[in-house]
Amino acid sequence: MEEKVLEILKDLFELDAVDETCSQETCEKWDSMGQLNLVVELESEFDVTLEPEEIGEMKSFNDIIRILKTKVA
Amino acid sequence: MSLFVFRNNTVERFFPKDYTFSGYDDISFIPADASGYVWFYQAPIGYNREASVEEIQGYQQKFDFVLAQIDSNKTVIALTMEDIYAAPFTEDDYAVRGAIEQYNAALFEAEKVNTNLKVIDYSEFTRNYPVADLFDWKFYFISQMGINPKLTKDFQAWWNRKLESIALKRKKCIVLDLDNTLWGGVLGEDGISGIKIGGDYPGKAFAFFQKSLLQLSKAGVILTICSKNNEADVLEAWEKNPFMVLKKEHFAAYRINWTDKATNIKELAEELNIGLDSFVFVDDNPTERELIKQMLPMVSVPEFPVQPNELPVFFKQLVNSYFKVYSITEEDKKKTEQYKANAARAQAQNSFTDFGAFLESLDIQITIEAANEFNIPRIAQMTQKTNQFNLTTKRYTDADVKGFLANGWKIWCISVADRFGDNGITGCIMVNGDTIDTFLLSCRILGKGIEKAFIKKILAMLKESGVETVKATYLPTAKNAQVADFYDRCGFPCVAENADGSKEYALDLKSAELEIEKYYHINLK
Repeated sequence: MEEKVLEILKDLFELDAVDETCSQETCEKWDSMGQLNLVVELESEFDVTLEPEEIGEMKSFNDIIRILKTKVA
Repeated sequence: MSLFVFRNNTVERFFPKDYTFSGYDDISFIPADASGYVWFYQAPIGYNREASVEEIQGYQQKFDFVLAQIDSNKTVIALTMEDIYAAPFTEDDYAVRGAIEQYNAALFEAEKVNTNLKVIDYSEFTRNYPVADLFDWKFYFISQMGINPKLTKDFQAWWNRKLESIALKRKKCIVLDLDNTLWGGVLGEDGISGIKIGGDYPGKAFAFFQKSLLQLSKAGVILTICSKNNEADVLEAWEKNPFMVLKKEHFAAYRINWTDKATNIKELAEELNIGLDSFVFVDDNPTERELIKQMLPMVSVPEFPVQPNELPVFFKQLVNSYFKVYSITEEDKKKTEQYKANAARAQAQNSFTDFGAFLESLDIQITIEAANEFNIPRIAQMTQKTNQFNLTTKRYTDADVKGFLANGWKIWCISVADRFGDNGITGCIMVNGDTIDTFLLSCRILGKGIEKAFIKKILAMLKESGVETVKATYLPTAKNAQVADFYDRCGFPCVAENADGSKEYALDLKSAELEIEKYYHINLK
C-alpha cells in the first residue's frame, strides 16, 4: 500500500523523487485541485470511499496511510 | 492548442493540462492570447426554482457578452447545459427545464450567425450514465464539482472526439463484406430468396443496418464492397431481392471475387484515389479482419457483433469512432456520385488514343471563385483533408481562412465539371502577397491537367494585379510525394533545396509561359 501511495503522489504532483515525508507543505502542486485528484485516485486504486472529514485531514503521506489502514483490511 | 475555459464549476481535471480556466462564473477576464475558448456552464443545483431560472438566464447573457468580446477569428466551443440533477417538487414544474432549453436554443441560434462558434451537445456524453454515476454530492460539497470526477477518462475521450469532429478528421470510405454482414446467411448456398434480409428477425436487423448505411452514404461516406462471392449471384440478388436496401448504385466501387481481401482493398484505394488510412473494413469473419489488420495496418478494423440484434449499437459506434463530423457540406452529399462518375471517365479514356482529344471530348468547365462566406467552410475542410495533391499541407480552420482574407490574402477555390458530372469545389489556392501559401486539389479531379490550367490562370491574374515575382514552396510529407516536382513541371525555377526535402521557388511573371489549352473552359466568378 505504501509503495502504491508514493507512486500516486509522485505521478499526480509531478515529483522527481518522493518519500514518506511528502506533505502539502513540501509539495507545490498539492493544492485544492491536487487534493481532489488525489482523492479520486485513492478511491479508485484502493476501492474505498473517503468521507469528507477524512479528506479534510489528509495533508501528508502519513495521514493518507493512517486513514487508508482503517479502510482496507 | 491551449484553450481558455469559461466555467461555473470545477472542471479542470476534465481537460488537457495546457488549458487555462476562468474563475468560477467569472467573465471579467478574457485572455487575448488564448488560441481558442470553451464555454462550459453547468446547470445550477438546488431547490429554489425561481433563482435557478434567473441564474440560467444570466448565464445566457454572460455568454452573449463574452462571445461579442472574443476575436471572431478564434474558435469558441460551447457545451449545452443538461439538468442532470432535476428536482422539481411537482410534476408540472417545467420552469428550470424550460430555461435550460431556452439557453441551449440560444446557443444554437448564436452559432448560426457566428461561424467561429461551435456548439456541442453535452447530453451526448451525459446520457450514457445514470444520475447516480453522473453526480456525486460529496465532490459537489468538497470541490464544487457539477459532475462526478471519476468520469474524467470517459469525458476526455469524448472531448477529444469532439475536437476531431470540429477539425473534420474523419475516415472517408467503408469496405463492406456481404454474407452475414449486409444480410444473414450465405448467398452462394441459400440463394437469392434464402438470404435473410427484410421480413422477420434477423432479416429485419440486417435491413436496419443497410438503411443506416444508406443514410451514412448520403452524408458523404463512400460505400464499397469486398466480398468472396460470385459476382453474377450478387448482381442478381441486388436486382431481384425486393428487400435489398443497398443496391449496386449505392456503391462507388466493389470487388466481388475470390482474390484475397488485402489485394482487393489496395485496388479499391487506387481506383477511388483514397489513401488506405481513410478506409474502415467491416466484415463478420474474424479471419478476414485479422488478415487486414496484419497486411494493411493503416486500415481501421472494428470488431463485428456476433448477434444481428447488436447491429444498431455497432453502427452507432462505427459512426462515433470514424465518421462523426461537426457538419457536412454540399460536396459531401454528392460524393458517391462523383466517385462513380470518375470510374465512367476512366472507361471513356480507354477509347481515346490521343489524350488531348479525350480532354476536349470531356467538355471541362473550370470555375474559379474568390473565397466568400459560402465557400470558406469547404476551403477549410479541404485544407484539413487533402493529403496527396497538397504542396504545403497547412491545416486551417474557417476562422483562420477568414483571418487571412482580413489580412489581404488572395484566396480562390476551383470547381470542375465535365460531361460526366459536377465535382463541385475541389481545390484552392491561397496567396499571401507574392507568396503561394497553400495550393491543393482533390485527387478526384486529377489526371486531366486541371492543376496546370488552374495555376496558370491564377498566375495570370496575379500578374495583372501587379505582382512581378511569385514565390512558392513545396513541403514534403509522407503522402505528397506526387507533387514534389509540381512547380518544376510548371516552369518555376527552384531557388533553394533544403535538407528537410523542402523546395523554394521564385517565378518571374514577365517571362512566364501562361497560355492555357483552349479545351479548358475557364469561368471567373
